[in-house]
Formats: sequence, structure tokens, C-alpha cells
Amino acid sequence: MPPDQDSRFNWASYHEFADRHDLTGQSVSISGTWTAEDAVTFRRVFEYFEEATGATVNYSGSDSFEQQIIIDTSSGSPPDIGIFPQPGLLRGLAGQGQVTPLPDDTNDWLRANYAAGDSWVDLVNFEGPDGQTRAYGFPYKIDVKSLVFYSPENFAAMGYDVPATMEDLKALTQQIVEDGGTPWCIGLGSGSATGWPATDWVEDLMLRLNPPEVYDQWVSHEIPFDDPHVLAAIEEFGWFAKTDAYVDGGAGGAGWIDHRDSPTGLFSIPPRCFMMHQASFIGSFFPAGTEFGRDVDFFYMPPYASHPELGNPVLGAGTTFAILRDTPVAEAFLAFLRTPIAHEIWMAQTGFLTPFSQANLDTYGDPTLRGMGEILVNADTFRFDASDLMPGAIGAGAFWTGMIDYVAGQSAERAASGIERSWSSLARTGGIEEGAE
Amino acid sequence: MDNIAGKRGRLTWALNIAVFLLVLLWTIPTLGLLVSSFRDADQLQASGWWTSLSPSVQSSAARTGPPATQTSGLDGYVLEGNVFGDASGEVVTFGTTPMMPDAFPAGETAPRNGGGTLVVNADGSYRMTSPTPFEAPDLVTGETAGEPLPDRGLRVFITSTEAPDFTTGNYGTVLNADGMAQSFLNTLTVAIPATIIPILVAAYAAYALAWMSFPGRALLVSAVVGLLVVPLQMSLIPLLQLHNAIGLGRGYIGVWLAHTGFGLPLAIYLLRNYMVGLPKEVIESARVDGATEFEIFRKIILPLSLPALAAFGIFQFLWTWNDLLVAKVFLGNSDTQMVMTGRIVELLGSRGNNWELLTAAAFVSMIVPLIVFFSMQKYFVRGLLAGSVKGG
Repeated sequence: MPPDQDSRFNWASYHEFADRHDLTGQSVSISGTWTAEDAVTFRRVFEYFEEATGATVNYSGSDSFEQQIIIDTSSGSPPDIGIFPQPGLLRGLAGQGQVTPLPDDTNDWLRANYAAGDSWVDLVNFEGPDGQTRAYGFPYKIDVKSLVFYSPENFAAMGYDVPATMEDLKALTQQIVEDGGTPWCIGLGSGSATGWPATDWVEDLMLRLNPPEVYDQWVSHEIPFDDPHVLAAIEEFGWFAKTDAYVDGGAGGAGWIDHRDSPTGLFSIPPRCFMMHQASFIGSFFPAGTEFGRDVDFFYMPPYASHPELGNPVLGAGTTFAILRDTPVAEAFLAFLRTPIAHEIWMAQTGFLTPFSQANLDTYGDPTLRGMGEILVNADTFRFDASDLMPGAIGAGAFWTGMIDYVAGQSAERAASGIERSWSSLARTGGIEEGAE
Repeated sequence: MDNIAGKRGRLTWALNIAVFLLVLLWTIPTLGLLVSSFRDADQLQASGWWTSLSPSVQSSAARTGPPATQTSGLDGYVLEGNVFGDASGEVVTFGTTPMMPDAFPAGETAPRNGGGTLVVNADGSYRMTSPTPFEAPDLVTGETAGEPLPDRGLRVFITSTEAPDFTTGNYGTVLNADGMAQSFLNTLTVAIPATIIPILVAAYAAYALAWMSFPGRALLVSAVVGLLVVPLQMSLIPLLQLHNAIGLGRGYIGVWLAHTGFGLPLAIYLLRNYMVGLPKEVIESARVDGATEFEIFRKIILPLSLPALAAFGIFQFLWTWNDLLVAKVFLGNSDTQMVMTGRIVELLGSRGNNWELLTAAAFVSMIVPLIVFFSMQKYFVRGLLAGSVKGG
């Protein structure tokens, strides 16, 4: 699509950017985790950057980006820009001085333009090698995790309504069991990462039971993992996951059913489950031909009526852009990401959400993305996936296995104190390495 | 005597059966992979490959024609059609709610919620009646602002048996994937020089270590043996640093050098042990006749070492052909540099779920190594024994 053709897009921001940047003949190399269809859609975004500036973008995507970027930076040949799937890895590299800090106005810009801006500022500010805290990353492309998927036709056939509060959701769960159905699909299996879907549940409930400050203390280990606040969230997850009748495959089945297979339960006849808590990406695992809004729909994981002061918190994950080699083109690319057009081009395609308030919601390619995008823009609080922020040995290790043990029958106290023991021994030996999934 | 002969016969039988069972056990996974590579992605997710030949019984929801196609008859409004559409199958049972797709046997008349009836026959034809006009299915809308489609039919829940479904589509997808041809060439460009260079270097080195006497030879041989146990993962970063420092950067030369380096210890060790076993007399009489070391190497040693060279060639080719790690580190990841293994990983999708493609891709990428293997097979068995028995 040539510029100026579709009036939904903010072409003024494109032209303004193009007028300020002329980088003809220069090039920028970008590495990230996006492969296959994601790489194709990202290509369409940077083609506009190329068109506007005359520069060339060389993008290479790899599913082993996390390992690759370590090799590249330590051997002295990093790409100009890295797209980090979680901030923990970036924090480690920033501490080693491998990352160029972003301009000083980045934090102000995020506060002013991203919904729940302070949450984003906290996410991308790290301590550099000189001990000073600066913005090192720019969040772009977000996944929303606080979603519950269901089949609108099955809900209609059984006479169920979308719950507005967590109390309603629990009542609905019990209602479905009374009607002879199974309410939830909770697939925790994910190969070597088995257990992570449970951490999303606990994090979502954490944000609905406690103020975001408590969540932050939990993430930074200022409160222990077996703090009563955390235990309450784990036990709340247990209310859903540890009752055999509530879960497809029984509480024991949740531990081994693969999260990529569990969506099929929503569509099978008879339905193996009526609801599934997952992140926005799960749409790509629905059977071919599934239509959003007709065959499947989703609602925002509701907050507790008993905690009105917490508003509508949103849990998510996302990618962060950072400059690894400072060149004029790399800086220009980061500036490009601040323009509404850079967000709208991807919004018009698929699989992209943004909290950027200046981007036109009408450009979302389908009503589903728009619905998810609205959840993100209306968020009172946004918190990043805690397991991605914790040290790798916890967030991508003890937390996962602890939750599997918990679902398999261990008490919340034992599971949580086991995770706490690993975390404090990690801190004692100084063996804290920053996250990796 | 008869007794002994009989025993031996039974023993041979037992041995043959045991070998046969072991071979069977060994090939079953490959067979499963082969069957899976021809199966439809949805069926692959639903059932194992061993069930693929028998018809499957499954419950599903079929849709009636759109409400606009209804007719009005004596018994109210009527929708008619076939649940299988143009396909075929056999309905065993059916139902009117998603919870009960097996409430009624095919052919029986079932009452519907809210009035009317539904009949589904074994051949899939159905008749749905209603006292009020049919409308698009009810939806409970969530965050998606989806409108019920007026041309969408109502659901009929059936349990049916369906014939197995095989497809060559997986192979089509793999072969027609964007950039697959380029990646195939890239892999060849990596694998062929990365096989030839170490053979060339190692043959010279092996000859020197086997037949030329110089101080420190034994030490050198043991150093080579020692290098066999160094894991290559350890040297990735320092090697890449070196390549960057001397201005080599990333590219084919870097990959060739890396593969050569990683392959050399085994190559030298294997070839040296083979050459040591060649008859001493031949080499000594050549020396007496005034042949130079180079002539001995070229005219005597090389032709005699062909089995060992071929064996190592196969090893090295298979390893470089299937390699992903070394290529990723030393060649790079961009579209034009990607090797075939990298492309296949990418085919799996952003989250590794398209594994019906993996099965097909496995067979596609196997073709070239199989050709190499079978064309050099006669050397392989002899070469495998290389160095195991001195003088053998």
C-alpha cells in the first residue's frame, strides 16, 4: 500500500518523519525472535521506514535469539538493533555496557503516550555499567495475557453469560459443573517450559487481589515467595485448577496436557471445556477456519467485586527494542517506532497490540485485535509477566516446576516455600543470572 | 550329531528372530514419521499414526444451510440438506445440544429445544423443523464486536465414522516454502567444501603422522586424540571473536574454516590409524626405488586409503548437512544466508506447532544424505573398521 492511500492511517506522522530523516545508502541490521508470519508482517512495517529514509533494513529472525544475542555481543559482532522477547535478558546486557541508552526524553514520552505509561517506564529502565539508571529499551508489540476464551454458541446453547466479576466467574464455573459440563481447559504442558501457563494464572490473580506495588515487591523479591499475599493468589488458582470436576482431564490432567492442544477442548463436541485462560497469541492454535466473534470469543479476566480499588489491571508480555550498536540509522529506527504510523501498519495486519494512545484503533485488522487493543488502552495498571522478570532460575525454572507440584497435589505453602528456598539460596550464592525462557 | 545340528538350527532361528525384532523396533519410529508426514494436520493432532488406517469415529458439529434457505411446510419451517455436504461418511448418532451428540440413533426423530424436530439419517441427510422462522445462531458476545452472520446455519451435532485421510500437502508446503531452494543451495555451499577441505588437510597430516619420522610425533598424535574430546560449543565465541578480529566476519569462508577445524581431529585420527596399518614393505620398497614422500603419498597411500577417506567423507558430510548451530553462529541468520535446517525450523511456525511439516521436512532433507550414503556405501563398511585392527 503506497503512502496516503488509506485515511485511517496517520500519514502526517509518516511525512513528518520522512522529512526529518534522509539516510540514503545507509543500512541497519536488526535481530529478533520473529520468524515465519511474524517476520513477514514486521517486514511490511520496516518497508515504510526504508521508503521514508532511503536506508536499508536487514532483519534476521531466529527462534534461538536469546542464545544468539549472547554469542553475538560477546564476540563483538552484535546487530545494530536487538528485539528482546523479555526485559530480563536486556537488563543483563545493559549492565555489561553492551546496550546504548536511549535518548533522555524516552521516559517522558512513554509516560505521555503509552497507556499505563509508568508501568512501561519501570520495565525498560535499567542500571547501566556506570550504576546510573536510564531507559535502555523501547516496548513495541505487546501480548495481553488477561483473557478468557470461550465459544459464544456453546454459551448461548447453555444459557451462560459473560461474567463481569471474579465472583460471577466462580459462580459460572460451578454452574457449568452442575449442568454436567467441564468449565476449564488448563493445559500446562509446554515441553521443557512445562508449567508456565500456571504462572500466568497466578500473576493475573495476584494483580486482582493485591495492589501493583505488592506485585512489584514480589517480582523484585522484596517480599518472600511464600508471603501470604502470594499464597492467596496461588490458592485462588488452586480453586480453579485443583478441583477435578473443574478441569478438562482432571486436576492431574492439567499438568501434562499441552497448552497448544488444550484450545481444541473448546471446539470439540461434546465440549471438553467451556473456558480457557490464555494470552492473545493462542488464536494461532485454534483449528483452521475458526472465526473470532462467532466460533470463539474472549472476555477480560474479570476483577473481584470485593476489590474495586484495584481497577482493571492487565497482565501482558511484549518485545523491547534496544540499540546494540549506535548508528544514525539505528537511532532513526527507534524514532520511527514513536510515530503512530509504525504501530498502525502492524495493527492493520495481525498479531499486534499496542498501548500507544495516538495510534488509531480503527486500523486494527479485525474486531478481535481491536477488542484486545481496547483492553490494553483502557488498562488502569499494566504489569509485565512476572516470571519473565524474575531471575531465570526462578521465573523459568522453580516457579514452573513449583506450580506443577502444586497442581499435582502439593500444598500452596510447600510449593511456595520450595520456590522461596531456591530464590534465597540463589541470592546467597550470588548466582543471580537474569531471566531466560 | 542330529541333536547338535538341531540345537544349532534353533539357536540360529532364535538369533534371526531377535535380530528381526530389533530391526523392527529400530525402524518403527521412522515408519511412524513416514506415515505422519502424509497425514492431515488436524487428524495428526487428534490421533496417533497407528490409527491412521482405520476409519475414525468422531463427534462433530455440522451446520445446516443458511436460514434464508428455509421452506415452510405443513409442520412449520423446514431446513433440509446433508451434514456431510459434498463429502461422504456415516452418521451413527446425533443430538440437538453440544453436550449430547449421541442422544439419538440415526433415523430417529428428536425434539428440539424451543419446539420443532430434527432427524438425521445414516447417510447424513437431515430435516430440521421449527414452529417459528429460523434465524442465525444465538451468540453470547464478548470483547469481539462480532455480529451474528445472517447466512450462518444452525448446528447439528453428530457422531460419525469417517474414512482415513491422507495428503501430500505437507510435502508440497515444505518444497514450495519461500527460500527453500536458496537454502538448499546454501547448505550445499556449506557442506561440500566443509567436507573436502578437512579430508585434504587430514590426509597429508595423517600420512606425516603415520609414516614420516620426526621428533615429537607421538606427542602430536596424542594431542590430536586429546582434541577429540573438546566440545565445539566451548569454542564458538572465541572463534567468532577471532574471525571478527582478523576481518573475516561472517560468511562461507568462516563456516568452512570452523567445520574444518571441528572435523580435523577425528579425520586425522581415523586416517592416521588406517594408514599405519598399510603394509610397511610397499612403502619401504618405494622409498628404496627413490620415490619422494609426495609421490609415495599420492601414488600409493591415497589409492589404498580410499575406504577410510570415503568413510570419513560420509561422516563429515552428514554432520555438516544436518548442522544448524555452526551455520547459525558463523554464517548468520538473514534470509539469504539461512541453511536448510534453519529454514525447516522456521517452517515449524513461530511457536513450533506445525509439526506435520517437520515430519515431511525430515524426509525431504534426508534425500541428499541418502544419495551420498548409498553411492559410497561399499566403502563405508570397510571404512568403519578403519584403524580398528592394525594391518587389517
